[in-house]
Amino acid sequence: MYNILVVDDDKEIVGAIEIYLKKEGYNIIKAYNGNEAIQKIKENEDNIHLIILDIMMPEKDGLETLEEIRKTNGVPVILLSAKSEDYDKIGGLNLGADDYITKPFNPLELIARVNSSIRRYVKLGAIENKDDEKLYQTGDLIINDDTKKVIVDGKEVKLTGTEFNILKFLLQNKGKVYSIPEIYENVWKEEGFGAENIIAVHIRHIREKIEINPKEPKYLKVIWGVGYKIEEI
Amino acid sequence: MENLKTSKALKIISYILIPILVAIIGLSIFHLAFLNEYGSVKEKRYEETEMFASDYLYFIMDQISLCYQEENNYDSYFMIVEDNNGNRYKYSNHNYGYSMHNGIGAYIDYIIIDKSTNEIYTNIRTNDYQKEIENIKSLGNFWNYIDGNIDTDINYINQDNIIYNSVYQYASSDDEGTYIVNKNISGYDIYSRYNESKVNQLTNFQLAKQMYNFALNNQQLPIYLLPISTIILLVISIYLLWSIGHEKGKDGISLSSIDNIPYEILLIFAFLFITIFLTILIQVLNFANYILLIFGCVLYVFCYLICAIVGVTTIKRIKAKRFFKSFLLYSIWKWIKNKCKNIEKVIETKIDNKKIFWYYWGYVLISIILAGFFYTGFAIIALIVFWIWIYYKIKQYIKKQEDIKEALKNIYNGKNNVHVNEEELQGILKEMAIYVNDISGGFSNAIEESLKSERLKTELITNVSHDIKTPLTSIINYVDLLKKENIENEKVKEYIDILDKKSQRLKKLTEDLVEASKASSGNVKLNIEEINIKELINQTIGEFKDKFEEKGLTIETTMPEQELVIKADNRYIYRIIENLFSNITKYAQENSRVYIDIEKNKESKVKISIKNISKEKLNISSDELMQRFVRGDKSRYTEGSGLGLSIAKSLTELQKGKFDIKIDGDLFRVDMEW
Repeated sequence: MYNILVVDDDKEIVGAIEIYLKKEGYNIIKAYNGNEAIQKIKENEDNIHLIILDIMMPEKDGLETLEEIRKTNGVPVILLSAKSEDYDKIGGLNLGADDYITKPFNPLELIARVNSSIRRYVKLGAIENKDDEKLYQTGDLIINDDTKKVIVDGKEVKLTGTEFNILKFLLQNKGKVYSIPEIYENVWKEEGFGAENIIAVHIRHIREKIEINPKEPKYLKVIWGVGYKIEEI
Repeated sequence: MENLKTSKALKIISYILIPILVAIIGLSIFHLAFLNEYGSVKEKRYEETEMFASDYLYFIMDQISLCYQEENNYDSYFMIVEDNNGNRYKYSNHNYGYSMHNGIGAYIDYIIIDKSTNEIYTNIRTNDYQKEIENIKSLGNFWNYIDGNIDTDINYINQDNIIYNSVYQYASSDDEGTYIVNKNISGYDIYSRYNESKVNQLTNFQLAKQMYNFALNNQQLPIYLLPISTIILLVISIYLLWSIGHEKGKDGISLSSIDNIPYEILLIFAFLFITIFLTILIQVLNFANYILLIFGCVLYVFCYLICAIVGVTTIKRIKAKRFFKSFLLYSIWKWIKNKCKNIEKVIETKIDNKKIFWYYWGYVLISIILAGFFYTGFAIIALIVFWIWIYYKIKQYIKKQEDIKEALKNIYNGKNNVHVNEEELQGILKEMAIYVNDISGGFSNAIEESLKSERLKTELITNVSHDIKTPLTSIINYVDLLKKENIENEKVKEYIDILDKKSQRLKKLTEDLVEASKASSGNVKLNIEEINIKELINQTIGEFKDKFEEKGLTIETTMPEQELVIKADNRYIYRIIENLFSNITKYAQENSRVYIDIEKNKESKVKISIKNISKEKLNISSDELMQRFVRGDKSRYTEGSGLGLSIAKSLTELQKGKFDIKIDGDLFRVDMEW
């Protein structure tokens, strides 16, 4: 049983989150402002596994609360905010948040992110590394070239053969950007004409499978007008 | 260094040293030149020099000429004296000889006998001249010329050629004299002797002798003095050039009242004084004695002082960069220029632009007629120069007007920050410029104001959207939870469905609203880089392929082989294409074709056009379509916010592109250009 602290001044939002996450089997601790949240953390000591923290709260806002938490505690924090600008997100992440979800959020996305964060925090699903197996990894994305398995945040993801080859190629060369023709040449080993948008479709499919939010991918990044890359994490 | 520069004592020492050094250098050069001529025979007595011989002979020749003049009653120099033996002779002790020929005459005793008249001329007062004649030879240092033969014990004069040379030289001053003297020299017997002890006072002759002796005895002196004093003079000169004008505690060049006197006037006065002094100096040098020598020195110092004053002020003026300005001519030129400027001002304020060339040609005509009356070459040239000048001025005037017109045109074309430089203008033109600038300033202000209010609007919209999003989150979440409840009632299910759709639309609307207001106010940070547009279109097609296929839409792309690169922010270009594709999935006729054409046009700009057939009748203009919240009629009631095209257009224009929509029946076409 994992304990999740949900902090938001809007009681209804906290209530809704509670309903969703309870269904997933989590224990919810509620707080309605920053000070309360800090108090709850003290009460439960090390027994909190994740904090979902709203930014815009009266008195002590989410960012101030986060700063205070981070002084003593490394527990994962997902920021929840109506502010959707890039610089809001970057600011929050720089303060030590692990993830950022904008309001209004998709409940499924919230659940997926919570699951992912918890798994990562408690090291669940960290697979054993046999020496003779060919493994490629970035962050919590691992592919096994021998068993052709793809594991994201400890969960196996089913990819088609083509999708696997594309992902393998990008993961082998993680951090580097490849354009569609380059990907085609490297994966199919021949020049491709007219196949451009097929590759793009494959990559979208991969993204939909391995990313929590394909529009804001964490692993398979799209650089519009340049190409694709696997982020080196 | 600074102390050296401003030291008054050093400068005064320098000023005092300069004339001394100049004198030393001058004398040294004179000394060297002298040695070059006479220094070859060492330790030669003055009496043995050619100088002495020549002077001696000149004096004798002079005396003969006097005798001749006496005989011919031209003039009278001699008085008749009778000696003890009753012989009469003519005696003279006039001073003529003291100044001529270095004053050697004062040291010479002579007795000249005209053989034809037996007249005796002498400067010896004696009781027995016969005895004197005999005495001369026995006393030594004599030079006698008897019956055409020279008899002398003065070594150097014992040469005939010198006599005749001298005679000739003497006589050559007068054509007639040559003949007479040549003819008559043989008619005289001359007894003379050089008597050094005859005069006790200092004469030119004595001075010359002393100088000669000094020069002979100190032959090494100038060899040391000349280079040393030249170097010292050079050093002092450089020091003064460097330090003149700098005074203690004052920055820059300190000027005195002398430095304000017009330069030409200063030069004229200096020239006048120096000419006067030099004239006096030259006169003085002819009468050599110690007092006169001191007087000469004083004059020399005066000359030096004048030169020094002129020199110092010249250096100061050059250093203070007002050398040419300090000329009287410059002031006159400036005055004339100012007068001309005033006339120009009057012309510019009074003359109407249209008539100005008529005035010009009228003026040319009148001046030609006047020039015909007062015809001189200079007048014609002056006139032509004046015509050209006036023509140039008129051109300039019209050019200034053109500038104002150009500014007005720019304002008319909606340009920002138009400004005409008023300062250079006068009269009507200046007024016009001021008004133009006022209007332009007003425009700029208005644009700035509207930008500011747009920014405020964006801020307001952003803040409001944040406030909307929080309750919206609850609505969406609880509707979602409701959907998951087990509900039998079909009506309730239908209602929940509507709530779900509308809350999702509200979500999209708030997001698009913020983006639209940012894009239209330009409140977007752009990260411009090179983008491969073909890659981007392919990527975007990949994103939408499934959605297109759902609606049975076929994509037909036409792209050139070559790489097409534009400079833009790739995220925003994606947003534009995404918005357009999203519109196509919503509003295009199902089971139709969508054409995407990319090409490089003649101006090497990348052109993208996207064409599709509209599902609904497009009874609306393309302009209205692009305006915010406006959509093609019935589509208002479907999903989407109606901001897509407006955002796409704003983002395109922010990235310096062109965005255009054309509607032709049911054909909907977007043209973009970068």
